[in-house]
Amino acid sequence: MEESPKTELFTVPIGPQHPALKEPSHFRITVDGEVVTDAFVRLGYAHRGIEKAAESRNWVRNLYLFERVCGICSHIHATAYCLGVERLAGVEAPPRAQAIRVLVAELERVHSHLLWLGVAAHEAGFDTLFMYSWRDREAIMDVLEGLTGNRVNYSANVLGGVKNDVDAAQRDAILRAIDGLEGRSRHYLDVVTTDALFLQRTRGIGVMTRNQAEVMGAVGPTARASGVTRDVRVDAPYAAYDRFPIMRIVETGGDLEARFVVRLRELFESYRLIRFLLDNLPEGEIRGRMPRRVPEGETISRVEAPRGELFYFLKSNGSDTPERVKVRTPTIYNLTSVVKLVVGHQLADVPMILAGIDPCFSCNDRSVQLDDTDGRTRVWTWEQLRRYSLEVEHGRSL
Amino acid sequence: MPTEKAIEIGRELAEKWTWRLEARQPEPNRLDIVLASPADLVPFAVGLRVQRIGWLAAISGLDPGPESGKIELLYHFCQAAAIITLRLMVPRQGAVVPTLSLIIPSAESSEREIAEMFGVTFDGLRATGHLYLPDGWPEETFPLRKDCTPPALAGAGPSVN
Repeated sequence: MEESPKTELFTVPIGPQHPALKEPSHFRITVDGEVVTDAFVRLGYAHRGIEKAAESRNWVRNLYLFERVCGICSHIHATAYCLGVERLAGVEAPPRAQAIRVLVAELERVHSHLLWLGVAAHEAGFDTLFMYSWRDREAIMDVLEGLTGNRVNYSANVLGGVKNDVDAAQRDAILRAIDGLEGRSRHYLDVVTTDALFLQRTRGIGVMTRNQAEVMGAVGPTARASGVTRDVRVDAPYAAYDRFPIMRIVETGGDLEARFVVRLRELFESYRLIRFLLDNLPEGEIRGRMPRRVPEGETISRVEAPRGELFYFLKSNGSDTPERVKVRTPTIYNLTSVVKLVVGHQLADVPMILAGIDPCFSCNDRSVQLDDTDGRTRVWTWEQLRRYSLEVEHGRSL
Repeated sequence: MPTEKAIEIGRELAEKWTWRLEARQPEPNRLDIVLASPADLVPFAVGLRVQRIGWLAAISGLDPGPESGKIELLYHFCQAAAIITLRLMVPRQGAVVPTLSLIIPSAESSEREIAEMFGVTFDGLRATGHLYLPDGWPEETFPLRKDCTPPALAGAGPSVN
């Protein structure tokens, strides 16, 4: 009797030096012909042991550590950390500081969503959209640099408040940037919902139903594109979101197109809130007094990062160093849910589906000082920058 | 469901459990329920899920120190601003806890993280390999335990300002 031919499945390893996602993760995709039959993810290539490192640094130094968990949503990590530590210490940041935190968080969301739009468009082979959205994103990066002095790790937060106030010139610069971006965003929303070629890559691809999203634990825009009405800014308002509420954006399509639409619609809501904040910033101090030692206790800080719910658990033993800081980032939940989605799709759709959750990339930092008198640009070393910061902070020259 | 309602449901479940469980409210929006045994975990999580407080936002591992001989697991369930935390103390050596991933699939990544960082075994967890740590990571070395002090951390030293 003749043996029936055995079907051999082929495994495609992608990463860890990822050619498409610019992120070190490893995917093992099993395919039957062009169709994905199984997917497996392995993380840890960028694991830096930050939770462990936090246990040997004091509360103040940890702020700078946690701001560096993520290169894109650095501010929201610092905000979650600050809100938690302040609650443990029984300190409340002044209303103006809380409003500035929300202002920077929404500017960060705009920059993050525009960055994602470019990356996702690039995955679909739509490089014109990638170039345009990244060019527009520069307007927000300039605004953030003007506001805080940094493009990426803004360091807007300090324990007890924020570092910089918003003056009239910065307010005008932000409004100008937002006005320009609003028209562009409208155009992008139009493009991603009407361009026939682009829709072939997004409509009906990577569909996650509401039930699936809830059971798999998807968060943020990925979940809201599937009709899950979960947004920490609305469900459990933190910082100034109780005084400056935001509208939850939900779509029901559940496919890649819906994930584009949710994020683009969130941009308009962010623009609205930024304008409203700038017109109604509470008067007063931007910083409160913060003790060096934090009383014993535990607290939980939940915030809505651009990619979804970010969760911080903080435990203090009464000293100047935390006993434990646990961070659960949105991407881990989204990644594990989406990996199960790719089964049954064409291999060529895998990069788009993975990019659709907006996995967290790292950005390159830079440090440039523009010398006003002769217009020369100098790049500073880390040591020069450190000395400069000490001079500014303590008024002393080293 | 409003925050207060979720806290009330959690408290009610803890009071009318097979064994009365200790419930405390450290903050207005938080309820900590101390589980008596790992056997309480799955039924209680199902109870919360049936009552639609089923969003497992995270699982935290805590090391109370080597002298305690324990590791503590914290399962954080959220609804609106309410956070109901199931607290479970397990022995430091040879702890086996039932997996929640059979009823809450998203628990898998958190449990794999705790397994490799704290050395707790989750019974029924399908994927058991390393998620974050490198393949060649030494056996029985659990980095987030307090008595694990890798040489790389020596430079961090006592806090300086």
